[in-house]
Amino acid sequence: MALKTSSESEPPQAEAVIDMAELGARLSARRAELGCASEMPRNAGNRRTASKRALLAAIEATGAKW
Amino acid sequence: MSDSESGYRPEFVAALQLFARVSEAMHARGFQRPILVGGAAAELWSTGAVNTGDFDICTTRQPELEEEMQRLGFVRPSGAGAMLKGWIHPELRLGFEVVAEVPMDGNVDAAHIRLVRPIGGGGLFRVVSVEDLIADRMGQYASGAAPDRLGQARVLLGLHPDADMAYLERRIREESAGDYGVKDIL
Repeated sequence: MALKTSSESEPPQAEAVIDMAELGARLSARRAELGCASEMPRNAGNRRTASKRALLAAIEATGAKW
Repeated sequence: MSDSESGYRPEFVAALQLFARVSEAMHARGFQRPILVGGAAAELWSTGAVNTGDFDICTTRQPELEEEMQRLGFVRPSGAGAMLKGWIHPELRLGFEVVAEVPMDGNVDAAHIRLVRPIGGGGLFRVVSVEDLIADRMGQYASGAAPDRLGQARVLLGLHPDADMAYLERRIREESAGDYGVKDIL
């Protein structure tokens, strides 16, 4: 299924490109305003597919500490 | 600006730099950049540590994307069973997995796909909008199987008071079969 109004080539980049550094700084300021209400609950992980569980096991096997 | 000043984890920043490189390689071949979805998109839009090192990606060009990923050092994990569809990058210790051709069964408006320049540069990558991500969380919450997603939706909306509320309302209704709207997460 295609995205609505999608084509092989992307639409012209008329929209602003989001600068990740600026986004992070803005979010950090907003989190400071909101306090603990900005804490994001992590996924419980009970909806993972078999493929996802296998991938996570492979990542863990590299010694990663995410 | 350092990673710590931006609020993002260094590992996450490195992962998105890599994703941007893969994305640029696809773009250079005349294909659309893949789209970041799921937990990594939630981490981008929140700076919260919700990701577990696996990055969910949508693309209609999976074979070509996987070619580019291999050029940048991704491998199939050794001993992986047939169930494993993802790829890992042994040096950065993360995984990418193509989970669909398009985000959210194609219900996302193309105009709402965002382009992002990662910290440190390296190109651009695409990600679902925060509005679509909130709607995705609410759709999962509405299914009854993921009660934790309501909290994520609330935090995301709290962090983005400038969200497009009309689009958000429409998308939450679509994803929750009409059961929920913006007022349910305010």
